[in-house]
Amino acid sequence: MEIFPALLSVLTDPTLLFAIVLAAAVGMIVGATPGLTASAAIAMLLPITFYMPPLFALAFLYVIGKSGRYGGSIAAILFNTPGTAASAATQIDGYPLARSGKAGKAMKVATISSIIGDLMGDILLVVGVGFIAAIALKLGPPETFAIYFAAFVVIGSVIGKSIVKGLASALLGILIAMVGLDPISSEERYTFGSFDLSNGVGLVPLMIGVFVLGEVFAQMEERRKAKGDIEENESSESGNSLSWEEYKPCLPHAFRGGFIGAGIGVLPGLGSAIAAFISYGEGKRRAKNPEKWGKGALEGVAAPEAANNAVSGPSMAPLLTLGIPGSTIGAILLGVFLIHGIQVGPTLFLTDKELVYQLFACGMLGIIAYGVIGYFGATQVARLILKIPTNVLYPMIFLTAFVAAYSARGSMFDVTVMTVAGFGGWLMRKYDFNIAACVISFVLAKGAEETFRQSLLMSESGPLVFVERPIALAFLILGLAAMAFRIRGILKERRIAQGGLGDA
Amino acid sequence: MRAYAEGLVLAGLAIVALWGAWQVPAASPGDTWAGIVPFAAALALLVLSIFLLLGATPQPVDAPEESDNAATFGIVGLFLIALLYQQSFRWFGYVLPTAITAPVVLYLFGVRNWIGLTVSVVLCPLVFHVIFFELLGVFPPYGEVFDLLDWIKG
Repeated sequence: MEIFPALLSVLTDPTLLFAIVLAAAVGMIVGATPGLTASAAIAMLLPITFYMPPLFALAFLYVIGKSGRYGGSIAAILFNTPGTAASAATQIDGYPLARSGKAGKAMKVATISSIIGDLMGDILLVVGVGFIAAIALKLGPPETFAIYFAAFVVIGSVIGKSIVKGLASALLGILIAMVGLDPISSEERYTFGSFDLSNGVGLVPLMIGVFVLGEVFAQMEERRKAKGDIEENESSESGNSLSWEEYKPCLPHAFRGGFIGAGIGVLPGLGSAIAAFISYGEGKRRAKNPEKWGKGALEGVAAPEAANNAVSGPSMAPLLTLGIPGSTIGAILLGVFLIHGIQVGPTLFLTDKELVYQLFACGMLGIIAYGVIGYFGATQVARLILKIPTNVLYPMIFLTAFVAAYSARGSMFDVTVMTVAGFGGWLMRKYDFNIAACVISFVLAKGAEETFRQSLLMSESGPLVFVERPIALAFLILGLAAMAFRIRGILKERRIAQGGLGDA
Repeated sequence: MRAYAEGLVLAGLAIVALWGAWQVPAASPGDTWAGIVPFAAALALLVLSIFLLLGATPQPVDAPEESDNAATFGIVGLFLIALLYQQSFRWFGYVLPTAITAPVVLYLFGVRNWIGLTVSVVLCPLVFHVIFFELLGVFPPYGEVFDLLDWIKG
């Protein structure tokens, strides 16, 4: 019930309300701009939020993340280019709808379904997060390390095309996090005699490098390879309006998508894209008109949109209760908490409970804000995006990355880290390594190391402590099982592909 | 061929990481070794790189398209500009390097309007300086060789 006073306190703060509306608009524009992600925008704005009060900073970035997820659907429907990976499933039916002059209708379905999914996710978060935090308080270091281990394995093996490259990316993230002084013994690690390296690699320059500068490099590559123009969509008055009769069949898909997204959101690393595709597949399987899916079915827009937005709220649960970010946006938000001196984990609900629920309230109001802007103004947002000259936008982002990285700590070393991370991020993308796994693992590594070594110190049986304690063992098995399922899935796909070729 | 290269690069990184972890002094009695996690992570990375090498199948190397080469050269060029730009903060402060880099990067991204490029020389450093160093109060980087900001301020 803490959410109601929190909502009231946010509603009575005009500055905060303005920040929420502004963040909703910014997130939508960023998400709808192909090639620009909410993660990049958040990373770029991160240093500015150092100068804001904690709630203001967190709410601003959290709402950008939420709205950015929704904004991706605008580009997917109108330009056949998903603004975010999560909206790739929306594109399957959204773009055919736009081509047949129903872009406005498709965007309204996407907006309503996003609101339904996102609110469902947030409500489940508000109801469930207290229970998770209470359980988390009872976990000891071995159990916490086992959760970290499961998160590493799941993040490394489930996202991306290759398990080996995914796990390698996660390990690279861990190794980067190890640079600097050991927090327990103060021994130097990977410093090679450099004073700058003894302070470690900062989260903010790494994020800005990988997500912002890396994106600029990727855009430059795209521009050099790009051929052809975007085709204009037809538009009619009837194609822009949406009636209740038209949305009614979408409703079960939106609710199912909401539950699928919320369930997947709690698991670290799986993310919106997986939720959207699972929801799309499940929706098509249960649809009364499966033959229309893929050719322009409104339900085919509702199912993935509800799911990808429903991920947003529940993905905060592992972050707030265990300090384990479930997504790149979560990893950046963790940085904001730490910068403002707020320790994330189960004790957060004892020390800063009010702040947490106010953040949830801001998230809910952010959903309403992007819903209203999107329902009445998505077409205008799309027109605005078409007017943004990308040949000016990306150079400006390039310059912002440097000044933003410097502003974080006033450190030139951070700017160097950002530059190298940007190039490294681009290389990882180019060679199909998993950036999200690398960054999330970087954030998790210190906590994982601490709990691992604490477990060894408190144990008389050495590493066996992780096997002797049932909860820890269960999480270790969970991680390995997730990897085994993924290997099985890949082998099955290969067999089907080989069979298909054999038949040909 | 690409998988071999990826495997070899990863193996190289893993070996450097293993060597780096090995340099960490031994633990004092009653403590855990500070190198245990880096060592374990580096070892796991080495194992994965071996998997990558074993899984690599020899395939004929396709000649890269001309657009691929142009894109890669473009990225490497932009990265070199980025390295030079960040290093020049140390030598010349923020304003002068930004005034030079802004039109160069705009040109690389396809802006050919000479008026626009000229305006960017003044506008980019001015806008970024005002936002970050005046409004947010961040202390600007000081140029050891020459600082245009100092010169402007007299």
